[in-house]
Amino acid sequence: MPTTRRDFLKTSVLASSLLFVPKFLHALDRQGLAALRDAQGRRLVVVQLGGGNDGLNTVIPYRNDFYYKARPTLGIREANGILTLDKDLGFNPAMTRLKGLYDQGQVAVLNSVGYPNPDRSHFRSMDIWQSGSAADQYVTTGWLGRYLDSSCPSCQVPYNGLEVDDTLSLAMKGAARKGLALKNPEKFHQATQNRLLRQVSQEDAGAGGSEMDYLYKTLAETASSADYLYQTAKIYKSAIAYPSTEFGKNLKTTAELINSGIESRVFYVSLSGFDTHVRQQEQQGKLLGDLSEGLGAFAEDLQKSGQFENTLILVFSEFGRRVGQNASNGTDHGTANNVLLLGGGLQKKGILNDAPDLQNLDQGDLRHQVDFRSIYATVLRDWLGADDKVILGSNFDRLSGLV
Amino acid sequence: MTTQQQLQHLYWRAGFGARPADVAAGLAPRKALRQLFRDSEKFDPLYTEQMRYTETAALTPPPTPDLALDPQAMTMKPGGLTAGQRKQQNQQIRDAFYRMNTGWLDRMATSPAQLREKMTFFWHGHFACRVRRPDAALQLNNTLRKGALGKFGDLLLAVSREPAMLQFLNNQQNRKQRPNENFAREVMELFTIGRGHYSEQDVKEAARAFTGWGYNAGNQFTFRDKQHDADAKTFMGRTGNFGGEEVLRIILEQPQTAEFLTTKIYRFFVNDTPDPTHIQPLAQAFYRSQYDISDLLERLFSADWFYAAANVGTRIKSPIELLAGIKRTLGLELENQQPLIVFQKALGQTLFEPPNVAGWPGGRNWIDSSSLIFRLQLPQVLLKNAEFSIALKEDENDIAPSVSKADRTFRQQVKARVKLAPITQLLAKTAPATQAAQLSQLLLQAPIRPENLALIQQAADAAPAESRLRTMVTSLLSLPEYQLM
Repeated sequence: MPTTRRDFLKTSVLASSLLFVPKFLHALDRQGLAALRDAQGRRLVVVQLGGGNDGLNTVIPYRNDFYYKARPTLGIREANGILTLDKDLGFNPAMTRLKGLYDQGQVAVLNSVGYPNPDRSHFRSMDIWQSGSAADQYVTTGWLGRYLDSSCPSCQVPYNGLEVDDTLSLAMKGAARKGLALKNPEKFHQATQNRLLRQVSQEDAGAGGSEMDYLYKTLAETASSADYLYQTAKIYKSAIAYPSTEFGKNLKTTAELINSGIESRVFYVSLSGFDTHVRQQEQQGKLLGDLSEGLGAFAEDLQKSGQFENTLILVFSEFGRRVGQNASNGTDHGTANNVLLLGGGLQKKGILNDAPDLQNLDQGDLRHQVDFRSIYATVLRDWLGADDKVILGSNFDRLSGLV
Repeated sequence: MTTQQQLQHLYWRAGFGARPADVAAGLAPRKALRQLFRDSEKFDPLYTEQMRYTETAALTPPPTPDLALDPQAMTMKPGGLTAGQRKQQNQQIRDAFYRMNTGWLDRMATSPAQLREKMTFFWHGHFACRVRRPDAALQLNNTLRKGALGKFGDLLLAVSREPAMLQFLNNQQNRKQRPNENFAREVMELFTIGRGHYSEQDVKEAARAFTGWGYNAGNQFTFRDKQHDADAKTFMGRTGNFGGEEVLRIILEQPQTAEFLTTKIYRFFVNDTPDPTHIQPLAQAFYRSQYDISDLLERLFSADWFYAAANVGTRIKSPIELLAGIKRTLGLELENQQPLIVFQKALGQTLFEPPNVAGWPGGRNWIDSSSLIFRLQLPQVLLKNAEFSIALKEDENDIAPSVSKADRTFRQQVKARVKLAPITQLLAKTAPATQAAQLSQLLLQAPIRPENLALIQQAADAAPAESRLRTMVTSLLSLPEYQLM
């Protein structure tokens, strides 16, 4: 019988994953442990494109004259290598691996996603998407944070939501529970190794609800999680070639966490730089290439370990950009945008709704057809098995049969 | 509770913490409170030459301003600036904001007008505003500072006339034929009376009253008669040809406004959980005094319950209070101020950059796994040259959202100096064996766990003699207890 926690972890690595239980889970009922595989072991990976990605040059309406009229020099032509999909839409030429996934039936595209009274300010619109709120609400928690707050069985563990970054986004902050932000398990673990911090983190949190108790509880959970993630992530090191970009590394870290058997339900990864007011072609092309290559490698990695079936990837940006190009060969802040969904478990694939209407604009901006909270509701209830109404605060019609 | 504990509590709540000298002086709390008011009598604007920003300063080539346009949008018009000019301007804007930021932080740490600066910080979160132009933001900040301790009605009116606020809440676009309700709504929902005490119709009517309230290119309030809807309005049951000033007056006539504000002030200065038995009498007095802020604060800081155990050492410090507190208590000086900005961003609160008009939620919202670890590591970084590596999220400010990853990554050691002499003096008469305990009472507002005291003692004993004090101080500041005030 292992006597130290370290020994326990070592031996259990070889045992079935059901026995691989960090110290603080010993309190849980054995039955409850099986329920940790809630939502049939499914997980969500959110990929946030920061800066306002230009949707029209991502999923291109290459047969629409209005597109070329509005973008005389910025419009991308078929001859430039558009990767044709369906409904007269095609991917940006840089998105070859995503096209590959699309052809395998593992990508769904939702056009014209947005919300009423759209805000064209980066931080405001990003807050709206991350909090899942309406444009005139100021909500201090995130939609995934509130998922963590919900009583889903796996939500009991402190590492159920992981963000691959040094700091935590609003999206992952709940009222009672929050996700863990870590650049990678090594760095996260390193941060808890300071001698004093380590000793203090092992002290008991008081059983009360005071601020002091909250601090000690958070510290204990952080240190525990850091240990667990660090030890567990050693199980699987990816042999897949990812792009050598920051984003590529982050996806690789995510895949390693998933393939190591860590039971987290939600992952959050960001790629930024999409605010293309000037010289859009080059900058966006580079980023979309990064996105495509990264997700292609990620999908391959998860497919190899049989984890792609139960993983859903949601790609979004805080707004799209204006239909007409500006005077600097770029575009300015706009409104509705497309959302990509990827995964082996998608029931509906391909282009799921009409291409954006380029004639019926709102002062030069696209009108939204789908409220982004409908997508959230669908993901929360139909994919993660959570109570979307409680988490989002009201009812949003789900997209039936999507997952 | 000892006098020292009460004194420290007062200085942490009414200011940014107690300095060793304050503790050494050992004033009775009542006297200390009077002194705090006296030291804050004068209004001294925050301003240095480096904080100065003019819209088109030093752009090459200088653009031709179009004064017919909204001055805030003047150089945001896409064709108005070249890409190079825009980049240059963004840099100047960022620099100005950072100098305002670190300048104010310095004030919090060193100014004798502790109460005024703390109150300005409170109003900064209450009248939360975020604009692109540093000069407008600084002007608003000084308006808050000037009215921080006076009559709330005066402060409210002054803030409502500030270009920064009018721009932020879109009132420049609020016109007779095309009203914009944002300003009117937020004034009622967040700044005065709170949700549930006015109707949507009230918002519409108030918006009409504020039409014409705008500003010019020189950052001055301008009333545009032609845009103003001077017709009769019915607001909160009263009818008349109200303008903005009358609407504000009517809002203040509602006792609920006094209760809303008092509750917010109580939650900031006393306890996150409001106690109606404390708040009701305060609110009524606030109302009767015509919203005299100083009067309210004096009552609050003089109340018996202010020093109750439930209210001492039970508030999680905001990032600014944490940083200013370390600066103040230890006389911390940085060679390069930039890390102070990095720390604010890493911890989720940057002066002049509230997340939205509702300000910073505060309390447990400050704490997650990463932010807690950063807070606990900060003393090592500041006092022991520990390495600190963090990539900040993209600059969500609309100023420069595409700052490269490299420019957002902070990986260096911080060069800082602290003044430990006053602490040494304070401990001079204390036997070495009890110095850790004594020091913990100076630095911590929450009682230290015996096991932690033992750890501090161990660390002190293991340290070389010349760094013993620094080690003890660093260790104490690295405890979760230090996060509470």
